[in-house]
Amino acid sequence: MITFEGAAKIYPDGTVAVAHLDLTVESGRTTVFVGPSGSGKTTSLRMINRMVEPTHGTIRVDGVDIRDQDPALLRRSIGYVIQQAGLFPHRTILDNIATVPMLLGWRRGKARARAAELMELVGLEPAQAKRYPHQLSGGQQQRVGVARALAADPPILLMDEPFSAVDPVVRTSLQDELLRLQQELHKTIVFVTHDIDEAVRLGDRIAVYRPGGELAQYDTPERLLAEPVDEFVESFVGYDRGVRRLSFFPASELSLRQDVVFDAEDRVERARDAVVSDGEPWALVVDERRAPLGWVGARQLTEAPAGVTLGSLELAPFGHVFHVANDSLRAALDAAVLSPAGRAVGVDTDGSVLGVVSQADLGTAIWSVSE
Amino acid sequence: MNVLTLLVEWFSDPAQWTGTAGIPARLGEHVYYSLLGLLLSTAIAVPVGLITGHTGVGGFLTTSLANFARALPTIGVLFLIVLLAGIGLVPVVCALVALAVPPILVNTHEGVRGVDPRLRDAALGMGMRGREVLFKLELPVATPLILLGMRTAAVQVVATATIAAYVGVGGLGRYIVDGQARQDLSMLLGGSVLVVALAVVTTLLFAGLRRLLVAPGLRAEAAAAR
Repeated sequence: MITFEGAAKIYPDGTVAVAHLDLTVESGRTTVFVGPSGSGKTTSLRMINRMVEPTHGTIRVDGVDIRDQDPALLRRSIGYVIQQAGLFPHRTILDNIATVPMLLGWRRGKARARAAELMELVGLEPAQAKRYPHQLSGGQQQRVGVARALAADPPILLMDEPFSAVDPVVRTSLQDELLRLQQELHKTIVFVTHDIDEAVRLGDRIAVYRPGGELAQYDTPERLLAEPVDEFVESFVGYDRGVRRLSFFPASELSLRQDVVFDAEDRVERARDAVVSDGEPWALVVDERRAPLGWVGARQLTEAPAGVTLGSLELAPFGHVFHVANDSLRAALDAAVLSPAGRAVGVDTDGSVLGVVSQADLGTAIWSVSE
Repeated sequence: MNVLTLLVEWFSDPAQWTGTAGIPARLGEHVYYSLLGLLLSTAIAVPVGLITGHTGVGGFLTTSLANFARALPTIGVLFLIVLLAGIGLVPVVCALVALAVPPILVNTHEGVRGVDPRLRDAALGMGMRGREVLFKLELPVATPLILLGMRTAAVQVVATATIAAYVGVGGLGRYIVDGQARQDLSMLLGGSVLVVALAVVTTLLFAGLRRLLVAPGLRAEAAAAR
């Protein structure tokens, strides 16, 4: 547990980096500091490993005042990941990762064996061990940065905008990787970013900073999106927060309709009886393995000659599907909005259709979770 | 053609290759003075450059002094020290050190200063102490630039060590000084060719030293940046 008790950093010229910070970072969870540039989030992070010394207040790690510890020893016990990794260009990947163990006095062989384990943990090929940082892509370098921070198995990991210099696709995969690692390792992670989406994705708790080095709100991502404390936070989290908040509700709670799903071998009459008479404008056609084929409209069904199979009709594309077990309401809504039929197709893990849900039904579900 | 024949004749005279005035002896003296000058300069300039570069203290003073020293006429330094200390090895080596310290010092200082601040931040953040930052990060990363400064210095030293002849302590300069005095063109040319050849060999040696001392990651990075 890391506690800030009235911590502040005010420079001699009067510049306020952090005005007054009272905050508790829970152990084993990911806490994200987010805010516009110059709001003190990075300074707050750097105060934890004494890269910046606070001018007021106290910071404790597991109850111990960090000022009572030698800065170098304190830092060796805290993992540190920075933007663009900051890898040593003259050292191989393996030796970069082994840096902190070597500082701690491990034997070279043991430190390198540990480094090799970490390469595997963060998803790097063993063949890359003997390479040098400039031979790696930005995303791979950042993985090495994470491995280096984890090498001595510190309980705390400080990450200062680690993924902001890589492209969005790589960033998403690095975020996924971090979530996976955290499930396995349960580190106390403090993560700084200016990207609210990244904060919502990674954080168990989010601290939103406002310009002038003040903490505006400290909450779970869900509550932050539901109840921003003021206009600043509301505008910072973005005006689509309502939709984004849906990512916290599982799609598995939706009630899916199965009565509008038909086999490609079925004759049009069957669908006509069931759908058109019911006032439903669309029916979903699936193949023998229940994989979606496409939508057929009520008008097509009415006009089609009797005896024809549904598979022989011209089908509208089914767009993209959502996975009932893993996806959120946000993914289901997205699928419904993008579907030509205005209905989202829910599938199980093998991609076979479990049922469909209309925008209207989704609206009802969203209404009930927003209560 | 004339010059070439003269040179071939001069180099092929067996008398040239023996005795205290022979090429091996003169070359030996020349290399000895040059090495002494370069090693002393390195021993002075690298530690000072590392300290000023690492601490950032005295950087301006060092570079100013180095630039001032660069402007000193080497031959003037030589005779000044001859007046103070008498004829011998001391004035020669002092003059060479005055010549060689500035490029090594400036390159060492700038090499350490020029280390990416993010790398220094990472090093400190991982728990390195000042000395560890210097020897595990700054020195290795600055090595290519330090070697470049040493190479510049070495070539200048080899070329300038000819002045040893003026104060009567031999070296390849002997041929040039005597050749001039005796109007012996072949001797003058032969001496010059030997000095040039030694300078070329020095450059090659530094290329080898670079391969030996600079981490492959830095060599390739420099090649990619070029």
